[in-house]
Amino acid sequence: MKWRRLTGIVLNRCLNIMVDMAMHLMDISQNSIRADAKNIQIAFNEDCESSRLTFRVGDDGNGMNEEELRSLEDPFFTTRTTRKVGLGIPLLKMTCEQTGGFLTVESEAGKGTIVQAVYCTDNPDCLPLGDIAGYLTMLIVANPDIRIKFTYRLNDKEFKLDTDELKEQEIDLRQSGLPGLLKPFIAENLKELFFHRAEKSFLC
Amino acid sequence: MSEIKTLADLKKKQEEMRNRIKLRDSAENPEAFVQVKVAMATCGIASGAKEVMEYFVEELDKRSIRSIVTQTGCMGYCYAEPTVEITLPGKDPIVLGYVNTVRAEEIIEHYIKDGELVDGIIPQNYNTIKS
Repeated sequence: MKWRRLTGIVLNRCLNIMVDMAMHLMDISQNSIRADAKNIQIAFNEDCESSRLTFRVGDDGNGMNEEELRSLEDPFFTTRTTRKVGLGIPLLKMTCEQTGGFLTVESEAGKGTIVQAVYCTDNPDCLPLGDIAGYLTMLIVANPDIRIKFTYRLNDKEFKLDTDELKEQEIDLRQSGLPGLLKPFIAENLKELFFHRAEKSFLC
Repeated sequence: MSEIKTLADLKKKQEEMRNRIKLRDSAENPEAFVQVKVAMATCGIASGAKEVMEYFVEELDKRSIRSIVTQTGCMGYCYAEPTVEITLPGKDPIVLGYVNTVRAEEIIEHYIKDGELVDGIIPQNYNTIKS
């Protein structure tokens, strides 16, 4: 069927486009924002021993019913009205499966959604991390009313960023110049964390 | 620039910055701000909208233009990504396509500062703009 072939071609072209994890982070978080989430938890859990990277985005938005949940992986399913294609989840599924991993999505209507993708970091097709600091900063700065909790855990060490904590410390998210401070803050902390990564890992 | 490692560092840096900036936008009407919305759906992200957004945030700040830069979802112009919607105070929003950092510079210099229309506008409606 023509449409199916078209999907194949489109997804193939996109293979070179969703180049890193940071882009997925932004993309899936946008889904949560569209679902009117007030709390978004983004977690990366990297275990060098078993060579697994688990990327998880949870939110307390509108959630999905069973039918919607089943059609998530179909690129021609979308809740938006501006076009008929929704590529966020299919691309995530593709990039994690190409490393030998898998995607799971749990959702309950009215409660929220959790999207979890597992990547095998010992596979050379594993995506690089990309500019997590940049994307996360943009996400926080553009949505100052949403509580975003970001965690990066590498083996037994972790870096946490909680926008509520920033507010408690009276760090003003709306003040000009904040992105220029927040991005290096995140980047420095992540750099220190990644120092502990095993050399054999394909993740970078 | 010294390193910012802890939240206390971040807070200190922000306070230093606050003392350097003149007091502005205390109880401002949001309509007086320039609103810039960058499309951040899969199509946008894949074509580099994050660089465009970072550019707008930084440059508008450097030039002290009162603005709010946010993200939206797909506006339907996937063929022209990255797209931005700019609403100048008191004017209708316009959507611009094929925006990269060079064109963002043009947009800030010409449209945001002077109100002069630039290339790459995606028509929303077909009314003539009366200036």
